[in-house]
Amino acid sequence: MSDKKYWQTFGEHSNSEAFQEAAANEFREDLPVEGLDSTGLLDAKTPRRDFLKYLGFSTAAAALAASCEIPVKKVIPYVNKPENTIPGVADYYATTFQSGGDLVSVVAKVRDGRPIKLEGNELSSITKGGTSARVQASVLDLYDTARLRHPKQSDGNSFQEVTSLEAFDQLAATALGSLGGAPLVILTGTITSPTTKEIISQFLAKYPGSRHVQYDADSYSGMLLANEAAYGKKAIPSYQFDKAKVIVSLGADFLGTWLSPIEFARQYAAGRRVTDKNAEMSRHYQFESLLSVTGGNADKRFTLRPSETGPLALALLAELGGPVSAPALDGRLKSAVQLAAKDLSAAKGSALVVCGSNNPHVQLIVNAINEAIGANGTTINWAAPVLWRQGLDAEMSSLVADMDGGKVGALLVYGANPAYDYYDADKFRAAIKKVKTTISFNDRLDETTELCKYILPAPHFLESWGDAEPKTGYFSFMQPTIAPLFKTRSFEDSLLKWSGATDTYEAYFKAYWTAKLGGIDGYEKALQDGVVEPAAPSTGGAPFSSAKVSEAAAAIGSMKKGGAYELALYQKVSMGTGKQANNPWLLELPDPITKATWDNYAVVSPKYARDNWHIDLGDRRQADKFEVHPDRQVVSVKVGGKEITLPALVVPGVHDEVIGIAVGYGRQSANKDNTADYIGKAVVGAGRNAFPLATFNGLTVEWSAPEATCETTKEFYQVAQTQTHSNYEGRTEAVKELTLEDFKKSPDEILNEREEELKPYGGLKSFTEQGTLYGVYDKPGIHWGMSVDMNSCVGCGACVVACHAENNVSVVGKKEVLRYHDMHWLRIDRYFSGNLQEADSIQTVFQPMLCQHCDNAPCENVCPVSATNHSSEGLNQMAYNRCIGTRYCANNCPFKVRRFNWADYTGADSFPDNQNGIISDATMMMNDELPRMVLNPDVTVRSRGVMEKCSFCVQRLQEGKLKAKKADRPLKDMEDVRTACQQACPTEAIVFGNANDKESRIRQTRLENEGRLFYALEELHVLPNVNYLAKIRNTDVIQGKAGEKKEETAEKKA
Amino acid sequence: MALLKYESQVRPPLVNGTKDYHQVTEDIVRPIEARPGKLWWIGFLTAVGLLCFGMYSVYREVTYGIGQWNLNKTIGWGWDITNFVWWVGIGHAGTLISAILLLFRQGWRTGVNRAAEAMTIFAVMCAGQFPIWHMGRVWMAFFVLPYPNTRGPLWTNFNSPLLWDVFAISTYFTVSLLFWYCGLLPDLASVRDRAKLKWRKFFYGLTSFGWTGSTKHWQRHEALSLVLAGLSTPLVLSVHTIVSFDFATSVIPGWHTTIFPPYFVAGAIFSGFAMVQSLLIITRKVLHLEDYITLEHIEVMNKVIVLTGSIVGVAYLTELFIAWYGQNKFENWAFMQNRVNLFSPLGWSYYLMMGCNVLSPQIFWFRKMRRNLTVTFFMSVIVNIGMWFERFVIIVTSIYRDYIPSSWSTYYTPSVWEIGFYLGTFGLFFTCYFLFSKFFPVIALAEIKHILKKSGENFKEKMGDAEAEPVEEFAHEMAHAH
Repeated sequence: MSDKKYWQTFGEHSNSEAFQEAAANEFREDLPVEGLDSTGLLDAKTPRRDFLKYLGFSTAAAALAASCEIPVKKVIPYVNKPENTIPGVADYYATTFQSGGDLVSVVAKVRDGRPIKLEGNELSSITKGGTSARVQASVLDLYDTARLRHPKQSDGNSFQEVTSLEAFDQLAATALGSLGGAPLVILTGTITSPTTKEIISQFLAKYPGSRHVQYDADSYSGMLLANEAAYGKKAIPSYQFDKAKVIVSLGADFLGTWLSPIEFARQYAAGRRVTDKNAEMSRHYQFESLLSVTGGNADKRFTLRPSETGPLALALLAELGGPVSAPALDGRLKSAVQLAAKDLSAAKGSALVVCGSNNPHVQLIVNAINEAIGANGTTINWAAPVLWRQGLDAEMSSLVADMDGGKVGALLVYGANPAYDYYDADKFRAAIKKVKTTISFNDRLDETTELCKYILPAPHFLESWGDAEPKTGYFSFMQPTIAPLFKTRSFEDSLLKWSGATDTYEAYFKAYWTAKLGGIDGYEKALQDGVVEPAAPSTGGAPFSSAKVSEAAAAIGSMKKGGAYELALYQKVSMGTGKQANNPWLLELPDPITKATWDNYAVVSPKYARDNWHIDLGDRRQADKFEVHPDRQVVSVKVGGKEITLPALVVPGVHDEVIGIAVGYGRQSANKDNTADYIGKAVVGAGRNAFPLATFNGLTVEWSAPEATCETTKEFYQVAQTQTHSNYEGRTEAVKELTLEDFKKSPDEILNEREEELKPYGGLKSFTEQGTLYGVYDKPGIHWGMSVDMNSCVGCGACVVACHAENNVSVVGKKEVLRYHDMHWLRIDRYFSGNLQEADSIQTVFQPMLCQHCDNAPCENVCPVSATNHSSEGLNQMAYNRCIGTRYCANNCPFKVRRFNWADYTGADSFPDNQNGIISDATMMMNDELPRMVLNPDVTVRSRGVMEKCSFCVQRLQEGKLKAKKADRPLKDMEDVRTACQQACPTEAIVFGNANDKESRIRQTRLENEGRLFYALEELHVLPNVNYLAKIRNTDVIQGKAGEKKEETAEKKA
Repeated sequence: MALLKYESQVRPPLVNGTKDYHQVTEDIVRPIEARPGKLWWIGFLTAVGLLCFGMYSVYREVTYGIGQWNLNKTIGWGWDITNFVWWVGIGHAGTLISAILLLFRQGWRTGVNRAAEAMTIFAVMCAGQFPIWHMGRVWMAFFVLPYPNTRGPLWTNFNSPLLWDVFAISTYFTVSLLFWYCGLLPDLASVRDRAKLKWRKFFYGLTSFGWTGSTKHWQRHEALSLVLAGLSTPLVLSVHTIVSFDFATSVIPGWHTTIFPPYFVAGAIFSGFAMVQSLLIITRKVLHLEDYITLEHIEVMNKVIVLTGSIVGVAYLTELFIAWYGQNKFENWAFMQNRVNLFSPLGWSYYLMMGCNVLSPQIFWFRKMRRNLTVTFFMSVIVNIGMWFERFVIIVTSIYRDYIPSSWSTYYTPSVWEIGFYLGTFGLFFTCYFLFSKFFPVIALAEIKHILKKSGENFKEKMGDAEAEPVEEFAHEMAHAH
C-alpha cells in the first residue's frame, strides 16, 4: 500500500495536546457518566424524583384529558316523589292494543311514567301472551313526531290551530247544528267496544236518518256474507287450528296476516309440537298464488292463480262428495286436490279448511267443504264468533255514492282512512268534498283527515280508557298508561259531550263496567287483569244450510278466467294495511319472505325473471351477479286502466303467472311535500300504494285482478334487503330438516350424525374436553341457555321488533340497510330449497339467528382490549365503554351476529353535527326527544364506533336474579327471567333459562328433544349456548337435502 | 496464491467506473447541496396533495364514522387491513437487505440499502396508519397499550393477534428507524463537514449527533450496526408471521390456515423487492446514480423476485390442494367457489393475484429480461398490484361468504374515502421519500467507500500494490474490511 499519510481531523493534523489527551482517553474502560456517586445525582438539575413526578403528572393529565369527552347531561331527582312510583322500578298495566279491528290484550311496561314496552297478556285465552311485530312496535306510535298536538280547523287551504277543546266543541256544535236535516254518518273501522257502540247509538239518536258505517281496509265481507247465507249469522267463527290434524288453506295467510294470526300461530304450533316421545303433527296443505309466511310453513304447497281459487274449492268439494261438479283444472292441481281430499276425509272431525278469498261465493263453497269434513263444531267454533271485522264493502260503496250524491250532511271519521286504502279512493276524495261538515278524530293528518274541516287529535290507545270485545263474551280493557302527551280527547268523550252528556268517557266506562261486573271490585279486577272471559270456553257448531251452494257454484263457474298475468295483492306481516306506516321499527323489519325493508315491490317468479330479463337464477353465475347488487328492475303493473310502477323482486315459490304487490305502502298527502309533516318522516318514499288496484265485484272488494299486465321499464330501483343469499347450500351443519316419516323411523338420525361428526374427539360426550388444547373449567351456578325450535318458529318477526324495543336497537334507515348496515341483534334467516322453476317444489325454512353465546367464543379471544368477554354464567358480554371498534370480533364470528355502529345512529356521540346527510331522516326522527322517550333506561344507548350484539337481555337476567334473591329462593325461569324475544313469541318457539337447573324448561326441552337437538356449526368447537331443534316436515322429501344428495352422486360419478 | 487477490472475472464490479472517494462523495451529496429541480417539486407537491386528501378522508371517517367506508355487517375489514398488510409487506425488503445481507456479507447491498431502509420506515409508517384509523373509536386507541392504569381488571388481551400486531409493528418500526439512522450518522457528518450554508451546518450538525469520525465512534457504530442487524434479522421473519396470525388464528375458512406464516414472509419480501425496484430505477435515473445502483443490483433483486414469487406460487397451490384434500366443506367453498370460481362475485381478484404474482415474475428466468430496466419497472408495479390483491383475496373473499349463507354480503367496492385513505398513505410515503432524497444521502456513503477498496476499476488499477503484498497480509486486510 502507499505510504501516503491521511489525517482525519485538524486535531490529528496539528497533533495538539487536547487531541493527544482525547486520543489517549478514547478507549477508557469506565463509563463516562458523571455524578453516579452518592451525592451527584440528587444535586443534579433534574433529579430522578422530579423526573418521575413530571412523567407521572403529564401521563395522568393526558389520560384525564383524553377521557373527559362525553357531554354531561344532568339527571334531576324528584323533589316530591309521586305516589306508587319508585324511580328505576317498572310498573305494569294491562291494556289492549287496538288498530282497526285488530285487538290484542297486552301489558304495558311503564318506567318513570313512560310506557316503553308491550308484552302479551297471558291471561287472555286468545293470545296467551303472544304478540306480533305490529303489537310490539305500537308503543313507538305513541311517541310519533307526526302526531297532532292540538285541534285544527281547515279553511280549505291550510289548517289553523283551534286554541282549546271548548272552542272546538263550539265549532262542532255550530257545524252539526246547521245540517238542516241532512243525515250524519259516522265512518269508523270495525268497532268491537260495547261502550263505544252504545255511545255512538246514543249520539246517532239525536240525528234522525243518520247511520254508522264500519269499513275495513282488509275486508272480510265475503266471509260475513257467506256465513250469513250458510249459517244465518253475519259473523266469523273462531277457528281451532290446534284441533286440526289436517289443515288446508286456500290462500289464507293465517300465520301472518289473516284474521287473528297470533292466536292461529299459537294453535298451529301447538298442533305441530314434536318431541322424541310424541312424534305426531298436523299436516298442512297450502294453495296460494304468492309465497306467504303460512305457505313457507306448509308441508305441501301448491300454487295457483287467484282466479283458480274458486274452481279449486269446487273441485275439493266435489272430491269430498259434495253436490257440485268439479270444474276443469290442470293435472297438477287435480292430483293435489285429490291428495288433500284424501287426507281431509281421513281426518274427518279434526280437519279444517280456510280460505283467504273475499268472494262470498268462494267462501260459501269453503263453508260447504268444512261441513263435509265435519269441521263445524269441532275445528270451527260458532260458540264464540269473532268480532274483529264487521265492515261490509257494499255499505261503504253505497256511502260513497250517497256522499257523491250530496245525500250526506256530515261525516265523522274515526279509525278509517278510505282516502288512502279504499279501492276507489279517488271517488271517495271527490265525494268527501261534497259533504258539508266533516270531522276527523285522528292522531295525524292522514290522507282522509286532511280532507276534513274539523280535526280533533285522538289519543293513542296507551293514553286511553276503553274496552274491546274480540270474541263474543270475551272482553279486553284499556287504561291509560301515561298522561296525554298532547291536547287530545277520545272519540267517545267527544260524542258524549256533543250528545249533551255531562259524564266523561272515563266515568261512563266505569259506571258501565261496574254495573256489568257486579261492583267496583269486579271492575278493578277487570282493569288489573285486562280481560274478562267466560269461565269455561265452549265449542259449538251452527246449523248449516246448503241452499245457496249450487248458486255459488254457478257463480264461480261464470267467473272470469285469468289473462296472461294475474295480480294478487297481499299484506306484509310488518305493515298490514298501513295503519302504522310511520313506524321505523316496522319499516325496517325485514319481510319474512323477501327480507326486504322500507319498500313494497312487485313479487314475481324466477320464471318471470328468466322470460323477461333473461336472468336464470338457477344458474349460480347469474344468481351471484343478481343477488350481490341491490338494483332491481322497475316494472309497470297495469290493471284495468290503473297503473303502478315499482321494483320487482324475484321470489321462488310464486306462481309463474302471478304478480304480487303488498298493500300498506305509499302513504302520501295530497300535496306530496306535506307527507313528512302530515303522515310522518319515515313514510316518505316508502313504496307505492297498491290499494287502487283492488277490484270491486258488486258485493265485496277483492284483492286480485284476473287481467293484469306487467311490463319491464328501463329503470332500476334499489331495494334494501337484509339477506340476499337464500340457499343454505346443503350446509346441514347450520340448518337441519327431517321428514316426519324419517324422524319416526329413526328418531336418532341427527344424534347419530353428530356423534359420527365428533368421533375424532371421542364423540359428543367428550367433545368439549377433547376438542381443545386448553383446559376446560367447571360451570357451576347459573348457566344460561336457549333453545330455538325451528319447527315452531313461523318466521313472523315479533321477536325481532321485541328485541328492537327492549334493547334500544337502532333503526338505520333504508340507505344504510342497502349498505348492509342493519343493526338487528336478532334476525330470522330464511332459506329456500327446491327447484326454482317449479314453484310447488319450493320449501322454506326460518331460523332465528342471534348471538349464540359460545362458551369458547371466537370473538372473545381476538379482541385486543377484552371488550367482549365471558361471564361466569355463560354470557358472551360486551363492555361498550371498552370497545375501540376494530371489528375483528365480527369478522371472526362464524354466525355473523355482531353489529357495528357505522355512524352516529343514536345521537349519543360526542362529535357535534355528524349526523346530517349521513343518516336517514327516519333515523334522525328516532333521535328526536319524543321518540327517545321509548328508550329502555336499563340498556345503554350505544355510540358510534362500538360493536354490539344480543346480550340475552342481561338487564332482565339481573332483575330476575335480584327478584329471586330478595324472595330468598332459587331462581325460576319463566317466572323470573324471560328474554324479550321469548316473551314476544306467539308460538313458544324460544325457550330460555338456567341450563344447570334440572327443573328448568330449557333443561327439560333439551332432554325431551335429544333427537332433534343440534348446535349450529357444532364441529367448530365454539360451544354455543343456543341450541336449535330441527325442523320436521310432514311431507315426503326435504328439498335442501335432496340437492345435497344430488351433488354427492354427481361427485361420485365424476 | 496470488489469484486470491484478484477480483473474480465472473463477478461484475459493484461500482462502475474509476471513482475516488471524493468523487463518490460528490456524486452522492450533490443532490443535497443543489437546489431541487422542477421534477422534484412536481413530485413533492403531488405527494403532499395526496397526503392532504388522505388526511381529509381520515377526518371524515373519524368524524362521521366508519360508515364512510363501504364495509358492512359481513365484511368488517376491507381495504383498510388489505392496505395495512400490503404496506407492512413492502417494508420487509429493506430489512432483509440491511440486516440479513449484512450478516451474510453481501457486498452489493451497500448500493441499495439506504434507500431500501428508508422505504421500510416509510412503508411501516404508512402501514401503521391503517390499524390505528380503522378503529371505530380511535380516540380510545391507547387502550391497546398495556400500561398500568386505574381501570381495574380491564387490561389488554394478550390472546389477541391484534395486540401482537401492536408489539410487532412498534418493535419493527423502532428497530428499523434506529438501524437506518445509525447508518446515516457518518454520512450526515460528511454533509455537515462540507456544508457552506449556515442552516445546513446547523441542521446536519444537529442530526449527525456530533459525529467526529473518531475510531471510537467507528467502533461503536460498527458494534451497534451489528447488534441492530442481529435484532432485525428475526424481525424479517417474525413481523409478517405475526401479521399472518391475524388471519391464521381465526376460525374463518380461508383465514384459518397453518401455511400463512412462511407464505406471508415470502410474499412480503417479494413485494418489498418489487417496491425497491420501482423506487431505485427512478432514483438512480433522476439522481444520476447509475454507477452506484448498477444493472447488477437490478438483476440480483430480480432474482430474489422470481424466487420469492415462485415460493408464493407454491404456497397458493398448496393452499388449494389442502382445501381439497382437507375435505372441510367450508374451506373448500372458500377456495373453490369464492376464489377459483372466476364467475363468483369476487372471483376475478383471485385470477388477478395469480396472474400478477405467480405467472408474470417467471419472465425473470431470462437474463435479458432481468437486465431490462423497462421490463423490470413494469414488473415491479405488476408485482405490487398482485400482492395488493393477494391480501384483498385473503381478507375479503374469505369473509364475504363464510359459514352462514344468510349473511353472505352484497358486492363490496370501496367508497371514495376508503380509496382516499389509501392514496393518502401514498402521499405520506412519497412526501417522506422526496424529503429523504433531497435531504439525506440516498446511498450509504461510508459503506460504499468500503467496497471501493475491493471491487471495481479502482481496485484493478491498484492491483500492482496488491501484487506486492504478501498473501497473508492481504487476506488479513480483506477479512477486516467490509
